[in-house]
Amino acid sequence: MHMGGLNLSSPANILHGGESGPILSKEKPEESKLLQAIGYQASVKMPPQGKLKDQEIADITEWVKAGAPMPADKVAVVATTKKKEWSKAQKEFWSFQAIKVYPVPQVKNASWVKTPIDNFILAKLEEKSVAPAEPAGKLTLLRRATFDLTGLPPTQKEIDDFLSDQSADAFAKVVDRLLDSPRYGERWGRHWLDVARYADSTGADEDHRYPYAWRYRDYVIDAFNKDLPFDQFVREQIAGDLLPAKDGGVNVNGIVATGFLSIGPRLIAEQDKVKMLYDFIDEQIDTTSRAFLGLTVACARCHDHKFDPIATKDYYSMASIFASTKAFKKIEGTVSQMYFAPLVPKGEADQYDAYLEKMEDRKREMTLISEEEADLYSASLRPKVADYMTAAWRVCHLGKPEDKQGLDVEVLRKWVEYLRQPAEEAPHLGKWLKADAGNHEQVAKGYQAEFDAAAKAYDAKVAEWKKKGDTHADRPKPNGVNNQFFGELLMGQGPFTRTGHYTEASQKRYDALKQELADLKANTPKEPPMACAVSEGLPVTQKVFIRGDAGNPGEEVTKRFPVIIAGENQIPVTQGSGRLEFANWLTGPSHPLTSRVFVNRVWQWHFGEGIVRTPSNWGLVGEKPTNPELLDYLASAFMKEGWSVKKLQRMIMLSSTYQMGSQITKEKFETDPGNRLMSRVDRRRLDVEEIRDGMMMLDGSIDLTMGGTLQSGFGTDGENAEGRLSIRPETVKRRTVYLPLRRSNLPTLLNLFDFGDATTTNEGRSKTNVAPQALFMMNSSFVTERAKNLAKKLVENDSLDNRRRVETAYSTVLARKPTEDEVAAALAYVQAFDAKRNAEGWQSLCRILLSSNEFVYVD
Amino acid sequence: MDFQAISRRAMLRQAACGFGSLGLTSLLAAASSANPLAPKKPHFAPKAKRVIFLFMHGGPSSIDTFDYKPMLEVYNDKPLPFKRPLTFAEGNVGNLMKSPWEFKQYGQSGLHVSSLFPNVAQCVDDLCVVKSIVGDSVAHGGASLQLHTGSNTFTRPSMGSWTVYGLGSENQNLPGYITIKPSLSHGGAKNWSSGFLPAAYQGTAIGNAGMKREDLAEPIEYLMNKGLTPDQQRFELDMLQKVNRQHAMTREYDPELEARIQAFELAFRMQTEAPEAFETEKESDATKKLYGLDKEETKDFGWQCLLARRLIERGVRFVQCSHSYKWDQHSELVKLHSRNAREVDLPIAGLLKDLKSRGLLKDTLVLWGGEFGRTPVVQGGDGRDHNPYGYTMWMAGGGVKGGFSYGNTDEVGYYAVEDRMHLHDLHATMMHLLGFNHEQLTFAYAGRNFRLTDVHGVVADKVIA
Repeated sequence: MHMGGLNLSSPANILHGGESGPILSKEKPEESKLLQAIGYQASVKMPPQGKLKDQEIADITEWVKAGAPMPADKVAVVATTKKKEWSKAQKEFWSFQAIKVYPVPQVKNASWVKTPIDNFILAKLEEKSVAPAEPAGKLTLLRRATFDLTGLPPTQKEIDDFLSDQSADAFAKVVDRLLDSPRYGERWGRHWLDVARYADSTGADEDHRYPYAWRYRDYVIDAFNKDLPFDQFVREQIAGDLLPAKDGGVNVNGIVATGFLSIGPRLIAEQDKVKMLYDFIDEQIDTTSRAFLGLTVACARCHDHKFDPIATKDYYSMASIFASTKAFKKIEGTVSQMYFAPLVPKGEADQYDAYLEKMEDRKREMTLISEEEADLYSASLRPKVADYMTAAWRVCHLGKPEDKQGLDVEVLRKWVEYLRQPAEEAPHLGKWLKADAGNHEQVAKGYQAEFDAAAKAYDAKVAEWKKKGDTHADRPKPNGVNNQFFGELLMGQGPFTRTGHYTEASQKRYDALKQELADLKANTPKEPPMACAVSEGLPVTQKVFIRGDAGNPGEEVTKRFPVIIAGENQIPVTQGSGRLEFANWLTGPSHPLTSRVFVNRVWQWHFGEGIVRTPSNWGLVGEKPTNPELLDYLASAFMKEGWSVKKLQRMIMLSSTYQMGSQITKEKFETDPGNRLMSRVDRRRLDVEEIRDGMMMLDGSIDLTMGGTLQSGFGTDGENAEGRLSIRPETVKRRTVYLPLRRSNLPTLLNLFDFGDATTTNEGRSKTNVAPQALFMMNSSFVTERAKNLAKKLVENDSLDNRRRVETAYSTVLARKPTEDEVAAALAYVQAFDAKRNAEGWQSLCRILLSSNEFVYVD
Repeated sequence: MDFQAISRRAMLRQAACGFGSLGLTSLLAAASSANPLAPKKPHFAPKAKRVIFLFMHGGPSSIDTFDYKPMLEVYNDKPLPFKRPLTFAEGNVGNLMKSPWEFKQYGQSGLHVSSLFPNVAQCVDDLCVVKSIVGDSVAHGGASLQLHTGSNTFTRPSMGSWTVYGLGSENQNLPGYITIKPSLSHGGAKNWSSGFLPAAYQGTAIGNAGMKREDLAEPIEYLMNKGLTPDQQRFELDMLQKVNRQHAMTREYDPELEARIQAFELAFRMQTEAPEAFETEKESDATKKLYGLDKEETKDFGWQCLLARRLIERGVRFVQCSHSYKWDQHSELVKLHSRNAREVDLPIAGLLKDLKSRGLLKDTLVLWGGEFGRTPVVQGGDGRDHNPYGYTMWMAGGGVKGGFSYGNTDEVGYYAVEDRMHLHDLHATMMHLLGFNHEQLTFAYAGRNFRLTDVHGVVADKVIA
């Protein structure tokens, strides 16, 4: 343990003590910090979980008083982790068991069954004598399916088509149409982006941009749209860069897919670089294990998992894989540099890098020339510090500008300016500013001496730098010798600085470099397409970090997968990072978790709750499946159908289960209050994307352009610059999924409506109902603009009478016809506005419909 | 006690687990108690009912403000006598540098304050100066995050969010947790985020540090309607509620629909009543002067402090004022620390005096400080580097001892050596003052119970009055 810098692993360390000094006092043993801590007399109380027994304290006190004798030589302390034996219950825990094939259960009400899913659901309902809900009406079903698959409301034409289609497979046609729509990937890709904690910046820290993260987002949308088999989707996200491209070239999609591992939050300005790296790896482990395995492996960083059979060794085996994966270009330095992968053949990428490198070289040499020349220029001025100061005195106090005594007039002017600083802001000039006619020459000499000492230190640093001959290391600067006076004179606009006026040879070289730089700039090829991605790094021999402390390494681990699932007899990975092997293991046909965890997510994204209601935690404290047989049936069917997500969804949506209504009756409320039996479909509030995109769809203002990025630039911005903010959703018309997400400052709209933090994997959005959301509906310019546009269309259409206007408003916003009462109420409402405000009346009515529960909830 | 904000499903899930069947009455009761900001009782009688945090972003130097180190005069310009720990600007630090400011003793307590804070010095008998704060990060990002959330790495709920999660809010017309002109950098919104707690507990930002107060169109986004009079809006709202009730009538047993209807009523009250809280111009000239609103240099932070008082007076639970990213003097310490102190000294003293005269100080905890202090060794001419190993924050009111100095650093002010108060301990102590056992104010997430203090935190009993 290293609390407070205290390390008790060896006698030397014990004697050394911690950050707060020695813990043992030889002079006054009874005042030793150690004894105060175990006696619970100090603020640090050890051991924290409870005071030692009196006898134990007495023994230790005696030992300290005896001078704390310890074994003379160093005891090599290597903590070992015992081989962990899991209990029978842990081994037999349900989620680790193989997927079973259950017979499709028999049901009494066979006519209700449309797909085998219905057998599994109805069997449970019949067991409890609960009836399934009545089927949803056609309009309800269409609105539900359209929002569900595309995140948008149905259009008038779609409504009319479906209502007029009396064929038995009318709804199947709707489902197919929606699954084929490019809007589908934008909605379902977004679900996965929640799990992948997608964002366009590093978050925390300095919030640097991920300039190419959007390619990963577009890849995910495309993967859903083209129904990329889910096992391939998993493999690509973990190890796509290691998979061959179809055409033998660069596997662009594969590289981009590994963005999953790359776009997590990073604190790249953290100074403890080992901590930075292992925090990043921890984040990769956390997201990967929760996303694919439904396991909280990251809980085992400091100690074996408290509830689940995951050992610290399992954690560090996974860490070993990611530690051998490249995600940083350069770790050293105040701000570490992230790795971005080129999406072109290596030669082409190298060529571009070479151009950049050449330009850097020119710039570096130019800087060097300026610095050398600055020193050359100031060399003759150095002994004249006191002369210039006294001359400046005469100028300021005696008003004798002509009296330059052989000094350079421009330099003197700068001195005069420099010495005119308020005393409270320039304490280093305090003596000078207090000097008087009698002593100022003496004081000036003092400053000359101070300057000379600093100059000596500076020259020594420069000499040392020259001796090293490392042209990539910066030349020492005058402000690097901790003398403010010296630094100010020789840098910036200081009196001993001058721009240009180099010696002839230097000037010639400088100009030549400038020309070369301009030529290079003009001829630099376009930056090749890049991705926020990972690639293979140097293989790391990973050790367990005892209590998560990198400074306290324990036993070495091999690259292998959690033992509770993969077993003891794994062949450790010996070549490469092990990502490819990990990806293949995850998607193997007998893996008990990957397929099940995903089909459960799909179920949850359709119905609001999963069959396992803790979708990213399938451990002991997670929930048990409400219908384990159905879960396994879905997982098997999913794999049998080639991991096709669309086929799975088709099967779900064509079931009677999906097509039930959302009515809660008294009977259902009492027998199935939490809808664990699936006696109905839960009503759900729209997500923020559906609210925003849906409203823009209704008034026709939406821009359905796909892909690309709205973010520009690299790195980060000024501390409180506008650039630190995410784009305001009110100012653009693209679908919400395409808005760049600056993690440190998400837009208010997204925060208001439970978007989540885009920083940790999100297993499901919360659905809060708070007043600030209502304020958005009532007061935002966004909703007002939508209402205005809708009203305009109504009012400007002369072919409509007021009654038809009300009907159009209802069918546009709520996808249904108004009742007679509703028409009457709406007409009365609009007519209450006087004639001059007629348009406002319609606008108000539209805002009411947009803000209504009926629009914001889907039955 | 149940601190979870109860959503319909969560509530029904619990019902399914335990209560058997729920009647309609209890269902409706649950709908209204589903308000996550309803006031709640803490674990035990609290000393503090609310918090004002004055965040000095950048890291003010302790040894130039409240931690008097006479030995630095002796050691001035000498090398540090022990190994320097990890700093931010690794290669670029030099010898020890004494404080350019003069320290004097003030008040009955005789605590030392430097000439940077002449006005706060007058309030010294109300301050509990903690000289031994310890954090784990030498960079702003991690340090700021740890100060606000306890973690220097991950996204966790901020201390304001935990406070509101635990106590709810006393004024339903205002957010429970407000941060005035917060910094966009070094974590930005992560510093006032509710993390995995429900979104209702996140801080509401009033503008940001990059804005001028004058440019703040509306204090809370979407608070003001720009086209309708209140009567017109009420007329519209009545129709909306009619439509909503009609809709709910055919959809029984769904408390969420009722909750959303109520949310609109609350929103209407909020927009009618909340703006008044922000009308600082209504204060008397004497009060404005007390906070320095009449001077260019102090008017921005003065306004923040005055607004903080108005907000807590109206029941807001946690208010943060930010003197944003100004205190990071790697060089030009004298010039810029002087300017910074001039900008905040008078407003802070004004706030303390005002709270006291209104009887609010006794149960309002005021916390002052930055994400770390600065090194006793020099950097960049007359600057200082970051120092999280032992630095000063002070508390006032809210049940802490006044005129009290707690903890200490070594003789040059580098490491905390006596009564160390890690940020986890600070959080534990704050939670204690608010009436919570910090180990029991938890939230279940991702497989375990989380709390503000993670697995750490010891309450500093000695600071409690």
